[in-house]
Amino acid sequence: MPLEKKIVAVPYFSNSDTDYVYKANISVYGNELTGIFIAKKINEATHRVVFTTEFGNKLLDFEISENDFKVNSIAEELDRKILINTLKNDFRLLLRKQYLIEEQFENTTDEVYQSREGNMYNFLFVSKTNEKQYKIVHSSRTKEKISISFDSENNIFAERVVIQHKNIKLKIELNYLQSKSN
Amino acid sequence: MSVSEINSFKQSVAVVSKKIKTLSTDFVQYKHMDFLSKDIETSGKMIFKEPSLLLWQYKRPYSYSVIFKSGKILINDEGKKKSVDIGNSKMFGKINKLIVGSVSGDMFDDKEFTISYFKTKGNNITRFIPKDAKLKKYIRQIELTFDKEEATVEQVKLIESSEDYTRIVLKNKTINAKIDDSVFTN
Repeated sequence: MPLEKKIVAVPYFSNSDTDYVYKANISVYGNELTGIFIAKKINEATHRVVFTTEFGNKLLDFEISENDFKVNSIAEELDRKILINTLKNDFRLLLRKQYLIEEQFENTTDEVYQSREGNMYNFLFVSKTNEKQYKIVHSSRTKEKISISFDSENNIFAERVVIQHKNIKLKIELNYLQSKSN
Repeated sequence: MSVSEINSFKQSVAVVSKKIKTLSTDFVQYKHMDFLSKDIETSGKMIFKEPSLLLWQYKRPYSYSVIFKSGKILINDEGKKKSVDIGNSKMFGKINKLIVGSVSGDMFDDKEFTISYFKTKGNNITRFIPKDAKLKKYIRQIELTFDKEEATVEQVKLIESSEDYTRIVLKNKTINAKIDDSVFTN
């Protein structure tokens, strides 16, 4: 199929005026962890990502861009290399504003855009019925590794996001924190 | 504050807090982080009953409550319930004491904190810097704002760093109303 678009933008965390604040439920190998997930685009390339408890104390504080990564702070209990790397990759995928497309497919329900990243692939799913970008799948040549699904009313802001790992038992659910003033 | 002002202030807070058998209050929590355009606002209710029953309940924008009760933390996250056994953890004791102390004002422990005193027009302000290294990792400084007339706490500010803090404003405080133990069940 001919390529319609060379670049596909993902709008859900791309506005630098928006505080992206979500209630987070993380389930990791049967353990449940809850708190507040906060992301904010702090310059053209970088997002600040903070995870706090419901009481407000910070558990982690990252700065993430395509090429850079900085840990501003992390709680002792979470300070493990494997965990930090997993979250770094997840958040990078979640926050990326656009993908360079090399191939395009369609099935009965979706337009599917394929983007390549070294020896890994990202597939972006856009629903044919409502033209919403609702899923990103990160996979190897043969195996799905991570899927991120978005529920969005207006196709700009996601009210609900689910990051689901396929090879490890990790699921991150984010539900938009509706505060009074919004 | 002068030494005599500090002493009389401490005394009036001690008189009020000694009388507290139960305490319930509404609160609004403002999480301030410098990189955000506005504070994250959550609100709910806090109930304390002597000697150490404590309920901290968020109602808006989500429902999440934590009960501190005889060596256990009971959590209710939108109906999902969990109990964490903490035994006689020293840290737990300190946190429990800290929360109750912050709200009642009874926190003038020189062994635990370096304390300093200030006054403004309508308020007395005390600043507590934890001496415990472990506690200090989570909270750099606690600031309690007291109503001058009533000698009760109006605001708790937990300062993490120069840019980030949690500010909790207490409203509709009721002291020594009858509170049933069943309030502290999950």
